[in-house]
Amino acid sequence: MSTAKIKKPPLFDRVFKPEHIVLENGHSVDRPRSRMPLILGSLLVVIVISLKMTGFDFSVIINRARELTVILGQIFQPNFSYFPNIVRPLVETIKMSILGTVIGCLIGLPLAILASSNINHHKPSLLAIRFILSIMRSVPTLIYASVLALVFGLGTFAGTLAITIFTVGIVAKMLYESIETIDMKPYEAMISFGATTLQAFWTACMPQILPTYVDDCLYCFELNVRASSILGYVGAGGLGVLIRERTGLRAYNDLGMVLLILFLVVLVIDFVNDYIRSKIS
Amino acid sequence: MTVLEQLQAEPKNLWKRIVLFIVLLAVVAWGSDSVSYQGIGEQGSIVASGILHGIFHPNPELLFNLTDGGVPYLVLQTIAIAILGTIFGAILAIPVSFLASTNIVPKWVAYIFRALILLIRTIPSMVWALVWIRVTGPGAFCGVVTQSVCSIGMISKMYITAIEDLDTGILESLDAAGCNTFQKIRVGIMPQLSASFVSTAIYRFDINLKDATTLGIVGAGGIGSPLVQSITYSRWSNVGAFLWALILLVLIIEYVSTRIRSTLARGRQ
Amino acid sequence: MIEFKDVSKTYPNGTKGLQHVNLQIEQGEFVAIIGLSGAGKSTLIRTINRMIDITEGQLTVDGTDVMTLKGSSLRKFRRKIGMIFQSFNLVSRSTVIKNVLSSNVPDMPWYKVFLGIYSKEQKIKALEALDKVNILDKAYHRCDELSGGQMQRVALARTLAQNPSIILADEPVASLDPIMADVVMSDFAKINKEMNITILLNIHHVDLALKYATRVIGVRAGQIVYDGPADQVTQDVLDQVYNGKAVPKSTDIQTEAEVA
Repeated sequence: MSTAKIKKPPLFDRVFKPEHIVLENGHSVDRPRSRMPLILGSLLVVIVISLKMTGFDFSVIINRARELTVILGQIFQPNFSYFPNIVRPLVETIKMSILGTVIGCLIGLPLAILASSNINHHKPSLLAIRFILSIMRSVPTLIYASVLALVFGLGTFAGTLAITIFTVGIVAKMLYESIETIDMKPYEAMISFGATTLQAFWTACMPQILPTYVDDCLYCFELNVRASSILGYVGAGGLGVLIRERTGLRAYNDLGMVLLILFLVVLVIDFVNDYIRSKIS
Repeated sequence: MTVLEQLQAEPKNLWKRIVLFIVLLAVVAWGSDSVSYQGIGEQGSIVASGILHGIFHPNPELLFNLTDGGVPYLVLQTIAIAILGTIFGAILAIPVSFLASTNIVPKWVAYIFRALILLIRTIPSMVWALVWIRVTGPGAFCGVVTQSVCSIGMISKMYITAIEDLDTGILESLDAAGCNTFQKIRVGIMPQLSASFVSTAIYRFDINLKDATTLGIVGAGGIGSPLVQSITYSRWSNVGAFLWALILLVLIIEYVSTRIRSTLARGRQ
Repeated sequence: MIEFKDVSKTYPNGTKGLQHVNLQIEQGEFVAIIGLSGAGKSTLIRTINRMIDITEGQLTVDGTDVMTLKGSSLRKFRRKIGMIFQSFNLVSRSTVIKNVLSSNVPDMPWYKVFLGIYSKEQKIKALEALDKVNILDKAYHRCDELSGGQMQRVALARTLAQNPSIILADEPVASLDPIMADVVMSDFAKINKEMNITILLNIHHVDLALKYATRVIGVRAGQIVYDGPADQVTQDVLDQVYNGKAVPKSTDIQTEAEVA
């Protein structure tokens, strides 16, 4: 960094002056003071405050550890005869994730294009779209679901909508980050021979984006299956309804069965997605 | 080779595309058949307008109330849950991930611990919270314990990648210099791992913070519990206040954590 | 015919790209523009199809004042002007023929563009264009499998498929090795002779310019300092164009790309 102009040292180095080491041959070097004590010290303070705020009490865990082992023991002895009751909510969960992912990814694509600084040169609309996208991402899916379940009634419609909103936010963000790294030269060439912005984008940029787009959609689908399995807890349909009901009744063997099935489904979906990914690349 | 010969030689993938399209369409159709829109009932439209009103008119009393029912306290408590959950998870993940790395322990041991990690990852954090709540009772403490356990899964997975990428050439040179095992770990291994471990933990903190708000729904403390209660009891201006606090909190933490992680990746300038 | 009447270009930051340029280029000429990096060669080429707007004077192409064009009339105008770039500007993930076919996109209905469907005639025309630049056998290969020289010929085929009456080439051989540069230049010469297409190209290597072009334009600091037949370019002329600095040859190792 010899060409850079001399910057004012950071506040830390002005408060804790660097150690000036002079070697025997007269050469000297400045050793900045380690930040470690400061970082560790403040971390310790933060931890102590946090322990107080959360009412952390390790003895409770020791004293009541038996409770935990009992519950976990029951979960690990799943009640296989409960399986028939799981099928319908399971199918519901998968359907919600599929539909939410597909709709979310379709809406996310144009939004991502409009949120890419190399395509959209209109700064205000770019920032507005990015702001809306980050709000969509920052509210947890469960909060969406609990509100939507009140508006649209209990059931899968609210769940699907919650998943769609979340998917739009996350897919659009992943996508515009990759759109901003693509090669814009073919786009320039198409403009030079008379294509419109949209034609040039679709023909010159889309082939570059497509593989990442499919990859992002599959990733979202994985996330959404996990997320939608608990949406039922707030009344938005799917496995979550069972999770709430069975824990309420302390029927942990049944809960174990639900979790086992969920585990297998997630495993299968991961496997299928990996297969599709290997086919694409 | 003539032009017409090349035209004949064009790879035909039209059928493949049509089949792919039909399969995709069929899957979507299957997915949509049970999702039916029943319209917004009278109750629904009251809720919708209530929410909109609440978002534009957040309850100012709640926003600046400094007691333990106010927004500032709840935001701090949510952060506290995420911080402790992340730190405990990150520490617990260290032994687990070493025991699951194939270049440290025999393969069969590694696979046992990997199965454990997979198990932790698959059970949704909300279910963990529902289990722990029987042990700790409702409250922020439950959230901390839940997150400590849940974080182990993802953090270990990323630690393992870092451990398996270790450059063992350095250990050889330290051996040659006459270092003992402890010295080798301190000088040869820790500097290689610390940056990626810290970066992983910060990334997980980001996730835990969002998750902490969700866990509140089942009674595990933080800003989620009062938010869901306000939704249930239709206190829309409170909902607005909590939602704005939550959005702001998540956005700020996301920004800060991205900044810190990129500094860690590039090194200080 | 391309006609510059007292054309100037001043960039928003105050840089003068062109100063009072007067030029007349007839249909079917092969013109090489030479000059130092930053002398305004690129600006001169890019004003013709209005990739860059001029700030003063008048520029007409076949009787059309280019500054009066906008929107669809500008796009229609650009259809008959081909453009070749230093870095080829191909979609490297797509196949060769897809890249050549993309030149049809501006004339196609939206749903065909959306689905990427091309007619048989368009495909035959694309293949013929590839044949003309001797690269027919690579039609179904992906562009990133090709060498630099082959990619530039694909770009040339893409331009030919659009039936241009003028081809503008911005440093077309700057990224190629000397042998490939010579081959691509001879392709330009062949197209110029056989199809009577006007060719204007920027070139860094004076030896190639003198070997293939019929007319040479020397640019220095946005002004035209030489305009005449290639065989009358003397050392004095070159000294004037290059300000007394060493004249670049195609055998020199290329280190800097033409900037603006």
